[in-house]
Amino acid sequence: MGGYGDVQMIDENGLRMDGRSPGDIRDITIETGVIPVADGSCRMTWGTNEAIVAVYGPMEAHPRKIQRQDRAVLDVAYNMAPFSTTDRMRPGFNRRSREISKVTKDALESVVLLELYPRSKIRVTIEIVSAEAGTRCVGLTAASVALADAGIPMTDLVVSVASGKINDVVVCDLNKEEDNYGEADLPMGILPNSGELVFLQMDGDLSQEEFKQAWDYNMDAAQVVHKLMVEALKGGDSQ
Amino acid sequence: MTIPIVPKLLRAHLSDLAENDARIDGRSQWQGRDLEIEHSVLPRAEGSARVRMGDTIVLAGVKFQIMQPYPDRPNQGGLMCSADVRPIAGRNWEAGPPSPEAIELGRVVDRGIRESGCIDVDSLCIIPGEKAWQVILDLFAVSDDGNLFDAFALAGIAALRNATVPAERFEVGEDYPLSVSKTPIMCSYHKVGGRFVYDACAREELGGDERIHITLGDDDNVHSLQKGLKGIFSADEFSEIMSNAQERTKELRNIVDSM
Repeated sequence: MGGYGDVQMIDENGLRMDGRSPGDIRDITIETGVIPVADGSCRMTWGTNEAIVAVYGPMEAHPRKIQRQDRAVLDVAYNMAPFSTTDRMRPGFNRRSREISKVTKDALESVVLLELYPRSKIRVTIEIVSAEAGTRCVGLTAASVALADAGIPMTDLVVSVASGKINDVVVCDLNKEEDNYGEADLPMGILPNSGELVFLQMDGDLSQEEFKQAWDYNMDAAQVVHKLMVEALKGGDSQ
Repeated sequence: MTIPIVPKLLRAHLSDLAENDARIDGRSQWQGRDLEIEHSVLPRAEGSARVRMGDTIVLAGVKFQIMQPYPDRPNQGGLMCSADVRPIAGRNWEAGPPSPEAIELGRVVDRGIRESGCIDVDSLCIIPGEKAWQVILDLFAVSDDGNLFDAFALAGIAALRNATVPAERFEVGEDYPLSVSKTPIMCSYHKVGGRFVYDACAREELGGDERIHITLGDDDNVHSLQKGLKGIFSADEFSEIMSNAQERTKELRNIVDSM
Protein backbone atom coordinates (compact mmCIF):
# COMPACT_ATOMS: atom_id res chain seq x y z
CA MET A 1 0.00 0.00 0.00
CA GLY A 2 1.27 3.42 -0.85
CA GLY A 3 0.07 4.74 2.49
CA TYR A 4 -2.60 7.03 3.71
CA GLY A 5 -3.14 9.72 1.12
CA ASP A 6 -4.90 13.04 1.35
CA VAL A 7 -6.08 12.54 -2.21
CA GLN A 8 -9.86 12.55 -2.50
CA MET A 9 -10.82 9.54 -4.57
CA ILE A 10 -14.55 9.22 -3.86
CA ASP A 11 -16.81 12.11 -4.92
CA GLU A 12 -19.89 13.48 -3.13
CA ASN A 13 -22.11 11.01 -5.02
CA GLY A 14 -20.07 8.07 -3.76
CA LEU A 15 -18.54 7.48 -7.19
CA ARG A 16 -14.87 6.72 -7.83
CA MET A 17 -12.53 8.76 -10.06
CA ASP A 18 -13.20 6.52 -13.06
CA GLY A 19 -16.96 6.76 -12.51
CA ARG A 20 -17.43 3.33 -10.94
CA SER A 21 -19.57 2.58 -7.90
CA PRO A 22 -17.70 0.95 -4.99
CA GLY A 23 -18.74 -2.57 -6.00
CA ASP A 24 -18.04 -2.25 -9.75
CA ILE A 25 -15.15 -3.93 -11.54
CA ARG A 26 -13.25 -2.57 -14.52
CA ASP A 27 -13.95 -3.66 -18.12
CA ILE A 28 -12.69 -7.13 -18.96
CA THR A 29 -12.02 -8.88 -22.27
CA ILE A 30 -10.94 -12.51 -22.62
CA GLU A 31 -9.63 -14.29 -25.71
CA THR A 32 -8.42 -17.87 -25.96
CA GLY A 33 -6.12 -19.53 -28.49
CA VAL A 34 -4.01 -16.39 -28.93
CA ILE A 35 -0.66 -18.23 -29.07
CA PRO A 36 -0.76 -20.58 -32.07
CA VAL A 37 2.24 -22.66 -30.99
CA ALA A 38 0.98 -23.26 -27.42
CA ASP A 39 -1.30 -26.08 -26.24
CA GLY A 40 -3.56 -23.55 -24.56
CA SER A 41 -3.45 -19.78 -24.22
CA CYS A 42 -5.37 -16.76 -23.04
CA ARG A 43 -5.13 -13.02 -23.46
CA MET A 44 -7.02 -11.08 -20.83
CA THR A 45 -7.40 -7.34 -20.49
CA TRP A 46 -8.76 -5.98 -17.23
CA GLY A 47 -8.86 -2.19 -17.19
CA THR A 48 -5.48 -1.37 -18.77
CA ASN A 49 -3.92 -4.54 -17.40
CA GLU A 50 -3.05 -7.07 -20.07
CA ALA A 51 -1.88 -10.60 -19.36
CA ILE A 52 -0.92 -13.24 -21.91
CA VAL A 53 -0.68 -16.82 -20.68
CA ALA A 54 0.64 -19.91 -22.45
CA VAL A 55 0.17 -23.50 -21.33
CA TYR A 56 2.50 -26.21 -22.66
CA GLY A 57 1.96 -29.84 -21.78
CA PRO A 58 1.47 -32.26 -20.25
CA MET A 59 5.00 -32.97 -21.47
CA GLU A 60 8.10 -34.80 -20.38
CA ALA A 61 9.42 -33.51 -17.07
CA HIS A 62 13.16 -33.05 -17.14
CA PRO A 63 15.55 -33.14 -15.44
CA ARG A 64 14.22 -36.39 -14.02
CA LYS A 65 14.72 -35.33 -10.44
CA ILE A 66 11.73 -32.96 -10.74
CA GLN A 67 9.42 -35.84 -11.76
CA ARG A 68 6.79 -37.11 -9.34
CA GLN A 69 5.76 -40.73 -9.67
CA ASP A 70 2.14 -40.11 -8.70
CA ARG A 71 1.34 -36.79 -10.36
CA ALA A 72 2.35 -34.09 -12.81
CA VAL A 73 4.41 -31.12 -11.68
CA LEU A 74 3.15 -27.65 -12.42
CA ASP A 75 5.78 -25.12 -13.50
CA VAL A 76 4.32 -21.63 -13.06
CA ALA A 77 6.20 -18.44 -13.92
CA TYR A 78 4.78 -14.92 -13.53
CA ASN A 79 6.75 -12.15 -15.17
CA MET A 80 6.28 -8.49 -16.04
CA ALA A 81 7.55 -7.41 -19.45
CA PRO A 82 10.01 -4.50 -19.39
CA PHE A 83 7.51 -2.19 -21.12
CA SER A 84 4.57 -3.12 -18.86
CA THR A 85 5.10 -0.36 -16.33
CA THR A 86 5.48 3.44 -16.33
CA ASP A 87 9.17 3.18 -15.42
CA ARG A 88 10.84 0.40 -17.38
CA MET A 89 10.96 -2.87 -15.47
CA ARG A 90 14.41 -4.46 -15.50
CA PRO A 91 14.10 -7.91 -17.08
CA GLY A 92 14.55 -10.99 -14.94
CA PHE A 93 13.14 -12.46 -11.80
CA ASN A 94 12.83 -10.45 -8.63
CA ARG A 95 11.52 -11.33 -5.18
CA ARG A 96 8.03 -10.04 -6.00
CA SER A 97 7.63 -12.07 -9.18
CA ARG A 98 9.00 -15.18 -7.48
CA GLU A 99 6.46 -14.88 -4.68
CA ILE A 100 3.58 -14.30 -7.10
CA SER A 101 4.72 -17.28 -9.20
CA LYS A 102 4.68 -19.43 -6.08
CA VAL A 103 1.25 -18.42 -4.77
CA THR A 104 -0.20 -18.71 -8.28
CA LYS A 105 1.24 -22.21 -8.55
CA ASP A 106 -0.19 -23.10 -5.12
CA ALA A 107 -3.61 -21.88 -6.28
CA LEU A 108 -3.57 -23.73 -9.62
CA GLU A 109 -2.23 -26.97 -8.09
CA SER A 110 -5.34 -26.95 -5.92
CA VAL A 111 -7.65 -27.35 -8.93
CA VAL A 112 -5.67 -29.13 -11.67
CA LEU A 113 -6.11 -32.92 -11.60
CA LEU A 114 -2.36 -33.51 -11.52
CA GLU A 115 -2.68 -37.18 -10.59
CA LEU A 116 -3.94 -37.90 -14.12
CA TYR A 117 -0.49 -37.20 -15.56
CA PRO A 118 2.19 -38.91 -13.44
CA ARG A 119 5.87 -38.10 -14.21
CA SER A 120 4.95 -35.27 -16.58
CA LYS A 121 5.15 -31.49 -16.44
CA ILE A 122 2.62 -28.79 -17.26
CA ARG A 123 4.14 -25.38 -17.88
CA VAL A 124 2.13 -22.21 -17.26
CA THR A 125 3.79 -18.96 -18.30
CA ILE A 126 2.13 -15.70 -17.28
CA GLU A 127 3.41 -12.55 -18.95
CA ILE A 128 2.08 -9.16 -17.91
CA VAL A 129 2.55 -6.91 -20.94
CA SER A 130 0.64 -3.96 -19.47
CA ALA A 131 0.27 -3.37 -15.75
CA GLU A 132 -2.25 -1.16 -14.02
CA ALA A 133 -3.11 -2.69 -10.63
CA GLY A 134 -4.09 -6.21 -9.69
CA THR A 135 -1.78 -8.01 -12.13
CA ARG A 136 -1.54 -11.09 -9.92
CA CYS A 137 -5.34 -11.45 -10.09
CA VAL A 138 -5.41 -11.04 -13.87
CA GLY A 139 -2.52 -13.49 -14.24
CA LEU A 140 -4.13 -16.19 -12.09
CA THR A 141 -7.56 -15.80 -13.70
CA ALA A 142 -6.10 -15.87 -17.23
CA ALA A 143 -3.94 -18.89 -16.30
CA SER A 144 -6.99 -20.90 -15.33
CA VAL A 145 -8.63 -20.01 -18.67
CA ALA A 146 -5.47 -21.02 -20.55
CA LEU A 147 -5.36 -24.37 -18.70
CA ALA A 148 -8.97 -24.99 -19.67
CA ASP A 149 -8.15 -23.96 -23.26
CA ALA A 150 -5.38 -26.59 -23.22
CA GLY A 151 -7.93 -29.20 -22.20
CA ILE A 152 -6.29 -29.87 -18.81
CA PRO A 153 -8.88 -31.33 -16.41
CA MET A 154 -9.62 -29.13 -13.40
CA THR A 155 -12.19 -29.26 -10.62
CA ASP A 156 -13.11 -25.61 -11.31
CA LEU A 157 -11.84 -22.43 -12.90
CA VAL A 158 -10.16 -19.92 -10.61
CA VAL A 159 -11.41 -16.33 -10.54
CA SER A 160 -9.07 -13.95 -8.81
CA VAL A 161 -10.22 -10.50 -7.81
CA ALA A 162 -9.16 -7.94 -5.20
CA SER A 163 -11.02 -5.42 -3.11
CA GLY A 164 -9.55 -2.70 -0.97
CA LYS A 165 -10.14 0.55 0.81
CA ILE A 166 -9.77 4.16 -0.30
CA ASN A 167 -10.74 7.22 1.75
CA ASP A 168 -12.20 4.80 4.34
CA VAL A 169 -14.58 3.36 1.73
CA VAL A 170 -14.36 -0.30 0.78
CA VAL A 171 -14.23 -0.68 -3.01
CA CYS A 172 -13.89 -3.57 -5.41
CA ASP A 173 -11.08 -3.97 -7.98
CA LEU A 174 -8.69 -1.08 -7.28
CA ASN A 175 -7.28 0.78 -10.28
CA LYS A 176 -3.77 2.24 -10.40
CA GLU A 177 -4.41 5.49 -8.53
CA GLU A 178 -6.59 3.76 -5.96
CA ASP A 179 -3.90 1.13 -5.45
CA ASN A 180 -1.20 3.78 -5.01
CA TYR A 181 -3.13 5.78 -2.43
CA GLY A 182 -5.30 3.00 -1.04
CA GLU A 183 -5.33 1.84 2.52
CA ALA A 184 -5.84 -1.89 2.05
CA ASP A 185 -5.83 -4.63 -0.58
CA LEU A 186 -7.45 -8.06 -0.33
CA PRO A 187 -6.84 -10.30 -3.37
CA MET A 188 -8.62 -13.65 -3.35
CA GLY A 189 -8.72 -16.66 -5.68
CA ILE A 190 -12.24 -18.02 -5.76
CA LEU A 191 -13.72 -21.25 -7.14
CA PRO A 192 -16.90 -19.82 -8.65
CA ASN A 193 -18.94 -23.01 -8.48
CA SER A 194 -18.39 -23.71 -4.80
CA GLY A 195 -17.39 -20.32 -3.37
CA GLU A 196 -14.25 -21.94 -1.93
CA LEU A 197 -10.84 -20.24 -1.97
CA VAL A 198 -7.45 -21.34 -3.33
CA PHE A 199 -5.59 -18.04 -3.01
CA LEU A 200 -5.66 -15.34 -0.35
CA GLN A 201 -3.44 -12.41 0.46
CA MET A 202 -4.02 -9.12 2.23
CA ASP A 203 -2.12 -6.06 3.29
CA GLY A 204 -3.21 -2.79 4.81
CA ASP A 205 -5.73 -1.99 7.47
CA LEU A 206 -9.36 -3.20 7.52
CA SER A 207 -11.85 -3.40 10.37
CA GLN A 208 -13.78 -6.65 10.74
CA GLU A 209 -16.81 -4.99 9.07
CA GLU A 210 -14.71 -3.59 6.22
CA PHE A 211 -13.06 -6.99 5.76
CA LYS A 212 -16.48 -8.64 5.47
CA GLN A 213 -17.56 -6.06 2.88
CA ALA A 214 -14.40 -6.55 0.81
CA TRP A 215 -14.86 -10.32 0.97
CA ASP A 216 -18.45 -10.02 -0.24
CA TYR A 217 -17.48 -7.68 -3.10
CA ASN A 218 -14.89 -10.24 -4.25
CA MET A 219 -17.39 -13.07 -4.10
CA ASP A 220 -19.94 -11.11 -6.17
CA ALA A 221 -17.33 -9.96 -8.70
CA ALA A 222 -16.12 -13.55 -9.12
CA GLN A 223 -19.53 -14.54 -10.47
CA VAL A 224 -19.45 -11.69 -13.02
CA VAL A 225 -15.94 -12.57 -14.22
CA HIS A 226 -16.73 -16.28 -14.28
CA LYS A 227 -19.52 -15.71 -16.82
CA LEU A 228 -17.05 -13.95 -19.15
CA MET A 229 -14.51 -16.77 -18.74
CA VAL A 230 -17.07 -19.42 -19.64
CA GLU A 231 -18.26 -17.40 -22.65
CA ALA A 232 -14.69 -17.02 -23.88
CA LEU A 233 -14.02 -20.74 -23.53
CA LYS A 234 -17.26 -21.78 -25.15
CA GLY A 235 -17.36 -19.44 -28.08
CA GLY A 236 -14.23 -17.50 -28.91
CA ASP A 237 -13.96 -13.88 -27.90
CA SER A 238 -15.74 -12.23 -25.04
CA GLN A 239 -16.32 -8.59 -24.24
CA MET B 1 16.89 -23.17 -25.43
CA THR B 2 16.70 -26.95 -25.43
CA ILE B 3 18.36 -28.49 -28.46
CA PRO B 4 15.63 -30.07 -30.55
CA ILE B 5 16.09 -33.45 -32.17
CA VAL B 6 16.11 -32.93 -35.92
CA PRO B 7 14.23 -35.76 -37.53
CA LYS B 8 16.08 -37.14 -40.50
CA LEU B 9 12.70 -37.63 -42.14
CA LEU B 10 12.01 -33.90 -41.94
CA ARG B 11 15.33 -33.06 -43.59
CA ALA B 12 14.70 -35.60 -46.34
CA HIS B 13 11.18 -34.26 -46.85
CA LEU B 14 12.42 -30.67 -47.09
CA SER B 15 15.02 -31.74 -49.69
CA ASP B 16 12.37 -33.47 -51.78
CA LEU B 17 10.17 -30.39 -51.61
CA ALA B 18 13.05 -28.10 -52.61
CA GLU B 19 13.81 -30.23 -55.67
CA ASN B 20 10.23 -29.68 -56.77
CA ASP B 21 10.44 -25.95 -56.02
CA ALA B 22 7.94 -26.34 -53.16
CA ARG B 23 7.85 -25.51 -49.45
CA ILE B 24 6.41 -27.34 -46.49
CA ASP B 25 3.57 -24.84 -45.98
CA GLY B 26 2.81 -24.39 -49.68
CA ARG B 27 4.61 -21.09 -50.22
CA SER B 28 6.97 -20.28 -53.07
CA GLN B 29 10.69 -19.74 -52.48
CA TRP B 30 10.59 -15.98 -51.87
CA GLN B 31 7.04 -15.70 -50.52
CA GLY B 32 6.55 -14.38 -46.99
CA ARG B 33 3.75 -15.39 -44.64
CA ASP B 34 0.67 -13.24 -44.08
CA LEU B 35 1.75 -10.11 -42.28
CA GLU B 36 -0.08 -7.89 -39.81
CA ILE B 37 1.46 -4.83 -38.14
CA GLU B 38 -0.30 -2.74 -35.51
CA HIS B 39 1.19 0.12 -33.55
CA SER B 40 0.37 1.72 -30.18
CA VAL B 41 -0.90 -1.55 -28.71
CA LEU B 42 0.67 -1.28 -25.22
CA PRO B 43 -0.74 1.38 -22.91
CA ARG B 44 2.33 1.65 -20.62
CA ALA B 45 4.91 1.94 -23.40
CA GLU B 46 5.83 5.24 -25.04
CA GLY B 47 5.83 3.47 -28.39
CA SER B 48 4.78 -0.05 -29.26
CA ALA B 49 3.93 -2.46 -32.04
CA ARG B 50 2.63 -5.97 -32.52
CA VAL B 51 3.73 -7.94 -35.57
CA ARG B 52 2.22 -11.19 -36.74
CA MET B 53 3.87 -13.22 -39.52
CA GLY B 54 1.87 -16.42 -39.88
CA ASP B 55 1.94 -18.03 -36.45
CA THR B 56 4.90 -15.96 -35.26
CA ILE B 57 3.78 -13.10 -33.01
CA VAL B 58 6.00 -10.49 -31.33
CA LEU B 59 5.64 -7.28 -29.38
CA ALA B 60 7.99 -4.31 -29.24
CA GLY B 61 7.86 -1.64 -26.55
CA VAL B 62 9.81 1.63 -26.32
CA LYS B 63 10.62 3.15 -22.93
CA PHE B 64 12.72 6.22 -22.11
CA GLN B 65 15.12 6.90 -19.25
CA ILE B 66 17.26 9.90 -18.45
CA MET B 67 20.97 9.09 -18.56
CA GLN B 68 24.16 11.00 -18.06
CA PRO B 69 25.87 11.27 -21.47
CA TYR B 70 29.13 9.37 -21.88
CA PRO B 71 32.13 11.66 -21.17
CA ASP B 72 33.44 11.33 -24.73
CA ARG B 73 30.02 12.12 -26.24
CA PRO B 74 28.53 14.81 -24.01
CA ASN B 75 25.94 15.87 -26.62
CA GLN B 76 24.48 12.45 -27.32
CA GLY B 77 21.80 10.24 -25.89
CA GLY B 78 21.68 6.52 -26.33
CA LEU B 79 19.77 3.65 -27.86
CA MET B 80 19.52 0.25 -26.23
CA CYS B 81 17.84 -2.70 -27.83
CA SER B 82 17.25 -5.99 -26.10
CA ALA B 83 15.35 -9.11 -27.05
CA ASP B 84 14.02 -11.74 -24.74
CA VAL B 85 12.40 -15.00 -25.75
CA ARG B 86 10.69 -16.34 -22.67
CA PRO B 87 9.06 -19.75 -22.21
CA ILE B 88 5.69 -18.33 -23.29
CA ALA B 89 6.85 -18.31 -26.93
CA GLY B 90 7.41 -22.02 -27.43
CA ARG B 91 8.09 -25.28 -25.67
CA ASN B 92 11.80 -25.25 -26.47
CA TRP B 93 12.43 -21.84 -24.92
CA GLU B 94 13.34 -22.02 -21.24
CA ALA B 95 13.35 -19.63 -18.33
CA GLY B 96 16.52 -18.01 -17.10
CA PRO B 97 18.95 -15.38 -18.28
CA PRO B 98 18.75 -14.62 -22.02
CA SER B 99 20.08 -17.52 -24.08
CA PRO B 100 22.81 -16.99 -26.71
CA GLU B 101 20.06 -17.24 -29.35
CA ALA B 102 18.03 -14.43 -27.74
CA ILE B 103 21.14 -12.28 -27.32
CA GLU B 104 22.04 -12.77 -30.99
CA LEU B 105 18.48 -11.76 -31.95
CA GLY B 106 18.65 -8.53 -29.94
CA ARG B 107 22.10 -7.60 -31.14
CA VAL B 108 21.42 -8.17 -34.84
CA VAL B 109 18.21 -6.11 -34.69
CA ASP B 110 20.05 -3.44 -32.66
CA ARG B 111 22.83 -3.12 -35.25
CA GLY B 112 20.39 -2.70 -38.14
CA ILE B 113 18.52 0.09 -36.40
CA ARG B 114 21.58 1.78 -34.86
CA GLU B 115 23.79 1.74 -37.95
CA SER B 116 21.06 3.04 -40.23
CA GLY B 117 21.30 6.29 -38.28
CA CYS B 118 17.51 6.49 -38.16
CA ILE B 119 17.67 7.91 -34.65
CA ASP B 120 19.61 11.13 -34.36
CA VAL B 121 21.41 10.62 -31.04
CA ASP B 122 22.33 14.33 -30.92
CA SER B 123 18.62 15.18 -30.74
CA LEU B 124 18.37 13.11 -27.56
CA CYS B 125 20.58 15.48 -25.57
CA ILE B 126 18.74 17.53 -22.92
CA ILE B 127 21.60 19.29 -21.09
CA PRO B 128 25.07 18.65 -22.63
CA GLY B 129 27.22 16.57 -20.33
CA GLU B 130 24.45 16.20 -17.78
CA LYS B 131 21.18 14.82 -19.11
CA ALA B 132 20.18 12.94 -22.22
CA TRP B 133 17.49 10.50 -23.24
CA GLN B 134 18.20 6.83 -23.37
CA VAL B 135 15.78 5.10 -25.74
CA ILE B 136 15.18 1.50 -24.75
CA LEU B 137 13.62 -0.86 -27.25
CA ASP B 138 12.46 -4.14 -25.72
CA LEU B 139 11.52 -6.96 -28.08
CA PHE B 140 9.28 -9.68 -26.72
CA ALA B 141 8.28 -12.94 -28.40
CA VAL B 142 4.73 -14.14 -27.86
CA SER B 143 4.66 -17.06 -30.30
CA ASP B 144 7.69 -18.49 -32.11
CA ASP B 145 6.86 -20.21 -35.37
CA GLY B 146 10.16 -19.23 -36.96
CA ASN B 147 11.94 -16.10 -38.20
CA LEU B 148 11.74 -14.08 -34.99
CA PHE B 149 14.53 -11.92 -36.47
CA ASP B 150 12.38 -10.25 -39.14
CA ALA B 151 9.37 -9.99 -36.84
CA PHE B 152 11.47 -8.31 -34.14
CA ALA B 153 13.09 -5.91 -36.59
CA LEU B 154 9.74 -4.90 -38.08
CA ALA B 155 8.08 -4.47 -34.69
CA GLY B 156 11.11 -2.55 -33.44
CA ILE B 157 11.17 0.06 -36.18
CA ALA B 158 7.35 0.36 -36.15
CA ALA B 159 7.39 0.98 -32.39
CA LEU B 160 10.18 3.56 -32.62
CA ARG B 161 8.45 5.41 -35.44
CA ASN B 162 5.34 5.78 -33.29
CA ALA B 163 7.07 6.66 -30.03
CA THR B 164 6.55 9.80 -27.95
CA VAL B 165 9.32 11.24 -25.78
CA PRO B 166 7.71 11.53 -22.30
CA ALA B 167 9.31 14.86 -21.41
CA GLU B 168 6.40 15.99 -19.23
CA ARG B 169 6.62 12.99 -16.94
CA PHE B 170 10.35 13.67 -16.41
CA GLU B 171 9.69 17.43 -16.05
CA VAL B 172 12.02 18.47 -18.88
CA GLY B 173 9.56 20.13 -21.25
CA GLU B 174 6.63 19.04 -23.35
CA ASP B 175 6.08 15.61 -24.89
CA TYR B 176 7.13 15.34 -28.52
CA PRO B 177 7.33 12.57 -31.12
CA LEU B 178 10.64 10.72 -31.29
CA SER B 179 12.38 11.72 -34.49
CA VAL B 180 13.06 8.65 -36.64
CA SER B 181 14.35 9.70 -40.04
CA LYS B 182 14.81 6.35 -41.78
CA THR B 183 13.22 2.92 -41.96
CA PRO B 184 15.78 0.09 -41.83
CA ILE B 185 14.22 -3.26 -42.75
CA MET B 186 15.61 -6.75 -42.17
CA CYS B 187 15.06 -9.73 -44.43
CA SER B 188 16.13 -13.20 -43.37
CA TYR B 189 16.89 -16.23 -45.52
CA HIS B 190 17.34 -19.82 -44.42
CA LYS B 191 19.00 -22.66 -46.30
CA VAL B 192 16.29 -25.29 -46.48
CA GLY B 193 16.66 -28.49 -48.49
CA GLY B 194 19.79 -27.08 -50.12
CA ARG B 195 18.46 -23.70 -51.26
CA PHE B 196 17.72 -20.38 -49.61
CA VAL B 197 14.11 -19.41 -48.85
CA TYR B 198 12.69 -16.19 -47.44
CA ASP B 199 10.88 -16.07 -44.05
CA ALA B 200 11.33 -19.65 -42.84
CA CYS B 201 8.75 -21.16 -40.52
CA ALA B 202 9.76 -23.17 -37.44
CA ARG B 203 9.77 -26.52 -39.23
CA GLU B 204 12.01 -25.11 -41.96
CA GLU B 205 14.34 -23.70 -39.30
CA LEU B 206 14.39 -27.06 -37.52
CA GLY B 207 15.22 -29.05 -40.64
CA GLY B 208 17.33 -26.39 -42.34
CA ASP B 209 20.93 -25.20 -42.20
CA GLU B 210 22.49 -21.76 -42.09
CA ARG B 211 20.60 -18.48 -42.07
CA ILE B 212 21.52 -15.02 -43.35
CA HIS B 213 20.05 -11.74 -42.13
CA ILE B 214 20.29 -8.58 -44.23
CA THR B 215 19.22 -5.12 -43.04
CA LEU B 216 18.86 -2.50 -45.77
CA GLY B 217 18.20 1.20 -45.34
CA ASP B 218 16.14 3.65 -47.36
CA ASP B 219 18.68 3.86 -50.22
CA ASP B 220 19.34 0.10 -50.27
CA ASN B 221 22.44 0.77 -48.20
CA VAL B 222 23.52 -2.24 -46.18
CA HIS B 223 23.41 -1.68 -42.42
CA SER B 224 23.80 -5.10 -40.90
CA LEU B 225 24.57 -8.62 -41.96
CA GLN B 226 24.68 -11.79 -39.94
CA LYS B 227 25.30 -15.38 -40.86
CA GLY B 228 24.08 -17.84 -38.25
CA LEU B 229 24.28 -21.58 -37.70
CA LYS B 230 26.41 -24.21 -39.41
CA GLY B 231 26.56 -24.10 -43.18
CA ILE B 232 28.49 -22.99 -46.26
CA PHE B 233 27.16 -20.58 -48.86
CA SER B 234 28.48 -19.28 -52.16
CA ALA B 235 28.87 -15.76 -53.51
CA ASP B 236 26.22 -16.51 -56.13
CA GLU B 237 23.74 -17.63 -53.49
CA PHE B 238 24.43 -14.47 -51.53
CA SER B 239 23.95 -12.16 -54.48
CA GLU B 240 20.64 -13.87 -55.24
CA ILE B 241 19.26 -13.27 -51.75
CA MET B 242 20.67 -9.74 -51.69
CA SER B 243 18.73 -8.84 -54.80
CA ASN B 244 15.60 -10.41 -53.33
CA ALA B 245 16.15 -8.45 -50.12
CA GLN B 246 16.24 -5.20 -52.14
CA GLU B 247 12.76 -5.90 -53.49
CA ARG B 248 11.25 -7.21 -50.28
CA THR B 249 12.61 -4.46 -48.01
CA LYS B 250 11.01 -1.85 -50.30
CA GLU B 251 7.60 -3.51 -49.95
CA LEU B 252 7.91 -3.75 -46.19
CA ARG B 253 9.22 -0.19 -45.87
CA ASN B 254 6.19 1.09 -47.71
CA ILE B 255 3.94 -0.69 -45.21
CA VAL B 256 5.82 0.67 -42.16
CA ASP B 257 6.10 4.20 -43.56
CA SER B 258 2.38 4.38 -44.32
CA MET B 259 1.38 3.48 -40.76
